[in-house]
Amino acid sequence: MNRLSFAAIALSLAVAGGAARADSVLILNSDEASYSVLSRSTRTEIARHPVGREPHHLIVTPDGKEVLIGSTATNELLGLDIKTGERKRIVKDIIDPYHLGFSPDGKWFVTAAYRLDHVDIFHADGFRLAGRIFIDGLPSHLAFDAESKTVFVTLQQSGRLAAFDLETQSLKWNMPVGNTPAGVIMLPDNKRLLVALTGEDGIVSVDPKDGAVTGRLRTGKGAHNFWPKGDGKHYFLSNRVEGSVSLIDTTGDMRVVGSVRIPGGPDCMDITPDGKELWVTQRFLRRVAVVDIEQLKVVASIPVGKSPHGVFMLKGSAGPAEGPVRAASTTADRK
Amino acid sequence: MRELTELWVDAQAWLFDTFVSPVLFHFGLMAWYEPGYNAVEFIMLGVVQIAIIAVGMRFFERRWPLEKSSADDRLIRVDQVYTVLNKLGIVPLAIFIVTYPLVQHIELSMRTWGFAPPRLERILPWLGDNALASFLVYFILYDFAAYWLHRAQHGFAWWWSLHSLHHSQRRMTVWTDDRNHVVDDLLINLALVLFSQVVGVQPGEYVLILMIGRLVESWSHANVDMSFGRLGERLLVGPRFHRLHHALSTPEERHIQDHNFAPVFPIWDILFGTAIYDGKHRPTGVDDPVVDADNGRGWITQQVTVLGRLVRALVPGLRRSSMSPGLRPPAE
Repeated sequence: MNRLSFAAIALSLAVAGGAARADSVLILNSDEASYSVLSRSTRTEIARHPVGREPHHLIVTPDGKEVLIGSTATNELLGLDIKTGERKRIVKDIIDPYHLGFSPDGKWFVTAAYRLDHVDIFHADGFRLAGRIFIDGLPSHLAFDAESKTVFVTLQQSGRLAAFDLETQSLKWNMPVGNTPAGVIMLPDNKRLLVALTGEDGIVSVDPKDGAVTGRLRTGKGAHNFWPKGDGKHYFLSNRVEGSVSLIDTTGDMRVVGSVRIPGGPDCMDITPDGKELWVTQRFLRRVAVVDIEQLKVVASIPVGKSPHGVFMLKGSAGPAEGPVRAASTTADRK
Repeated sequence: MRELTELWVDAQAWLFDTFVSPVLFHFGLMAWYEPGYNAVEFIMLGVVQIAIIAVGMRFFERRWPLEKSSADDRLIRVDQVYTVLNKLGIVPLAIFIVTYPLVQHIELSMRTWGFAPPRLERILPWLGDNALASFLVYFILYDFAAYWLHRAQHGFAWWWSLHSLHHSQRRMTVWTDDRNHVVDDLLINLALVLFSQVVGVQPGEYVLILMIGRLVESWSHANVDMSFGRLGERLLVGPRFHRLHHALSTPEERHIQDHNFAPVFPIWDILFGTAIYDGKHRPTGVDDPVVDADNGRGWITQQVTVLGRLVRALVPGLRRSSMSPGLRPPAE
């Protein structure tokens, strides 16, 4: 029934040709091998296109010209033009690219192979594999330090956070942080990592030097993923089990300064270029919620495909200038 | 359709949030969060299937029964147990737990070696933009594999020792399709899951293929003398076509069950010379007293006795003769 519904939508959308517009948003439908193109202005789905199998996260290339979608089950990346959404290329032989990111200096490209228990470090230029590190525990999300020397990877099953040296592709430390760690970000001061604990009800701050847990903050059950608000201080955090998004002030002692209820297992987020709206994928409801940031209120919820995961605002004519080089959906705001 | 989908998704989310998510969270099983959500949908689909069988298909059986009501009606009850256990996910869950490590190992090994499913969209790019065509093509491929697996169930003595349970039913009805030994179910599921992964069927498609396929198969076991018409019965398996596959063999038709194997699309029987369209009415069951004794037994007794048949088939020393009853493939 669901698939037939999808078929009907896809057929009806096929005539649209799928050309993305300047105000388009990409949503990865992870259980449908497709991505939706939505209009920000009309808040409707305008096209749906096929992509490999099980797409979860996406990332902007260091030159800001492309967004790469990781297709985990087909071991490849699909590159789309960051302004138009036009298909540009397929990068093959990237094994299980569940979560992915470029180091801030653009020199390294790293993937976390969630199902296959390894972290791959590539030379970003040409996607040449520099090293593959096998590590137990479901490598989940990743973040970089500001100097582009270290990549930090959460291990969901073992409840740990691991740090790898990019130059030598070796393990620096591997420390316990809590139950089912998922999203991880480096704060702009480069002195604190934040890790969301999906098996608990909050986040921890971690010292990037040695992996020691230095602080805790209760947010909501199933804390999962971060997105920077854009002011260098505040971060949004999705709480999947509780069905909410918290707004966290990271200055001094961390504290929750606001929250909004978003049912349906909220997951990845992105903010509109004008900074007024937060778009959040609702995995279980097959929707993406639009949140008015000033009022912290859901103003729309748009139907998309099955199990929507990654979300990305195409940059349109404005270009990608305001967008930092990012580790898919979970990097530090370095403004 | 959109409203129906939203109603479905809302119900799935409510069931998950109320009953499953708190349990997963409490026991630290959040790595199973997404599979848990999909499992809820599987059970919901099972309820829908049972409703379609119990209300829709049974209407035709009551209105136009091929075999009239008799004392043998009591033999149907155990098939209803099979259907509920399967459709509500109890047997599939047990199979999943047993096969998961092996399926994972195979899938992950293939992916570690860099093997990615070939995906037909690479050869036929238009398929990627046409969800309905894509679904049909993968459905046909899936059915092709199921056809050959079904032939294997009849072709190997040890496998027939399991599959004969399915054929032993003398009162074939819409409930009969799920009457299978759990080891038989396990083997078929394992083979079809691996096949689907190799050819690139995506998870969302697989669930729908499974649901539609099993509904067609439930209907093909119905106690009615119906088909989809001269052309239709060559496109889709119906009760008249499949009943012949369950026919009791006779001295004149010793190999009658080696025909009409196809689960959903009869094209495979037509192509490989195993199709018979003669419209004759035949009694169903297995001409073997050991197998026929399955009738009247309950679910547990059937599972245990058929497991014994399998052991005898696999361990030659336990057979009373080379053609021990219950171990004889119908082709022999």
